[in-house]
Amino acid sequence: MQSQQQIRISRGKGLVFGLLAMLAAVQASANGEIGDHVNDLKGHLGQYSEEVDWLVGKYDGVVDSYEAKGRKAVETQQLIDFWEEVDFHSAIETNYVPVYANIWQGIYGIKQAIEAGKPVAEVRAEQEKLNSAFWQALGAVKLASQFQERGLLAKIQTTESEPTTMPETLEDIKLRLDRVVAKYAEQLPEAATTIVHDTYLHRFEGVEGALIEQDAALVEDLEKDFNVTLPQAINGNASVDDVRKVVESMQVKIDRAKELLVAAEKKRKDVF
Amino acid sequence: MQRRAFLRSACLNSLAVAGAVGCLPVSAWASDTENMALSVEQLPPLEGDLTLYLGRGEGGLYENVLEAIRKRNPKFNLQVRRGVTAALANTIVAESKAGVRRADVFWAVDSGAIGLVADAGLARPLPAALTGQLKPGFQYPQWAPVTGRIRTLPYNTERVTPDRIPDSVMALADSDLSIGWAPAYASFQSFVTAMRLLEGEQATADWLKGVSERAKSYAGELGVVMGVERGEVDIGFANHYYTLRLKSGKPEAKVDLAFTNNDAGCLVNASGILALSEGDLPINFIRYLLTREVQSYLAREAYEIPLVNGVQPPQGLPALSAISPPKLDLTQLADLRPTLNLMRRVGVL
Repeated sequence: MQSQQQIRISRGKGLVFGLLAMLAAVQASANGEIGDHVNDLKGHLGQYSEEVDWLVGKYDGVVDSYEAKGRKAVETQQLIDFWEEVDFHSAIETNYVPVYANIWQGIYGIKQAIEAGKPVAEVRAEQEKLNSAFWQALGAVKLASQFQERGLLAKIQTTESEPTTMPETLEDIKLRLDRVVAKYAEQLPEAATTIVHDTYLHRFEGVEGALIEQDAALVEDLEKDFNVTLPQAINGNASVDDVRKVVESMQVKIDRAKELLVAAEKKRKDVF
Repeated sequence: MQRRAFLRSACLNSLAVAGAVGCLPVSAWASDTENMALSVEQLPPLEGDLTLYLGRGEGGLYENVLEAIRKRNPKFNLQVRRGVTAALANTIVAESKAGVRRADVFWAVDSGAIGLVADAGLARPLPAALTGQLKPGFQYPQWAPVTGRIRTLPYNTERVTPDRIPDSVMALADSDLSIGWAPAYASFQSFVTAMRLLEGEQATADWLKGVSERAKSYAGELGVVMGVERGEVDIGFANHYYTLRLKSGKPEAKVDLAFTNNDAGCLVNASGILALSEGDLPINFIRYLLTREVQSYLAREAYEIPLVNGVQPPQGLPALSAISPPKLDLTQLADLRPTLNLMRRVGVL
């Protein structure tokens, strides 16, 4: 079991790697088209900061209303509408999906707590988590803007491009798994399941033949994760944290797979 | 049930093979010394611009081939568009209808997609000297198979003795063996398409119903082979290379290969390439893929079967002269829709 400290360190590393993975294959978001602003993050940092302040205020207002007037005074759909209204939404979605998932988790945390008539203290606790996710996301976008300015971040496209090497494919699998958590946190289990299925069929299938020659047990493990463990967690109404744990454990295995395949590629003879 | 003969191979302990030689002549698998594969040293350099549409290939190995061709030909500007093979085939046809041609060459992982493009009248004829390098049975005027793969029956060596495995795929529906399959998998659907073309709609429907009573489904065919090896099922349906690769990574794996005789169960399907634009460059690019070096590389690294003369098949397969695939124009495998309708109708999809 990892300690919180280890998880924080690992997530910090993940942020840098996630940004450097240069997500060049972002498809149009389920929540609307991705605007050109995502290719000029630095020019929009002021706007994003304002939007985060606005969001924090809006969610605070909703919880204040709940505290003062109770459940009937609150339209919980607003909690989702606020988030879908801002450009910052696609800025984080296209640059660091793990935090994007935390934001959805936080929004639904507040929404479900209010709908269940939970004590205000519990709703405030969910609000705190959401605020932390917003600030973490703003930090991630600021970091991404620095990478982008130095030319280290690929231009974000709205059409899918294909990874061309096995290591690239494995990185792409990790990003897709992050999106699984995001979609699950967004309360879209079918979309999450579709991503799992497509990732297996169109990505993992292409590398597992080479991987099984290096470590058959690792392939067995990942086969089970893709086809049993993760779909079961999603379909069995597991918590977002539990789905995230499955994904994180898969990502550790994918990293191991990448090491093995990079080493194997070095030993491979040339074509000519 | 017929008793079957078995060959020993260097990699697999016992490979079940068909008893009789089927429709393809034995010479189809034998070396043809008159039209051997060329070496890359014998080819002209590639110069100019070429756009290739590449269906997803074997985990980056096709990319290695393309990179090697680029490196060898500094004046060659190769642009590659990658995607799902079937989607790219549809794109090529749609672009043509719109009066646009963006691709000069199409390299597809299955011959069905090649058939779709060829049937639309978009493939340019290939020179006889090029197609002549391919084994008899794999020479087509408008496209060149690049490498082959055989449908096989991987079986668990602790649960099944080879004499229990019928040498007819159709007989499996009446056997008492538990079976692993991946009905949603493209290779499996090509195999069912071949069965439909060879045996007819009704016989295929009956077969699917019969097998489904004892079948366990897997997401993919490596999953099928691993399920067989774990002993979850007695036998499975899968392309040959999954078992070879599993045995390479896990030599003690409890799985071997059996082959049926002259039916869809031992279909040899192929990846293939065709030229969409005129001129020497697309044709010469295709020649590079048929060289001894590229064919040996794909056989060695991806366990694919070379379809040019004079290149050794991957280790672990029996002598190909002992296998009897059915006689079938592979481009007919493009006719997938009736197969999917049939599979849905009988409830296996």
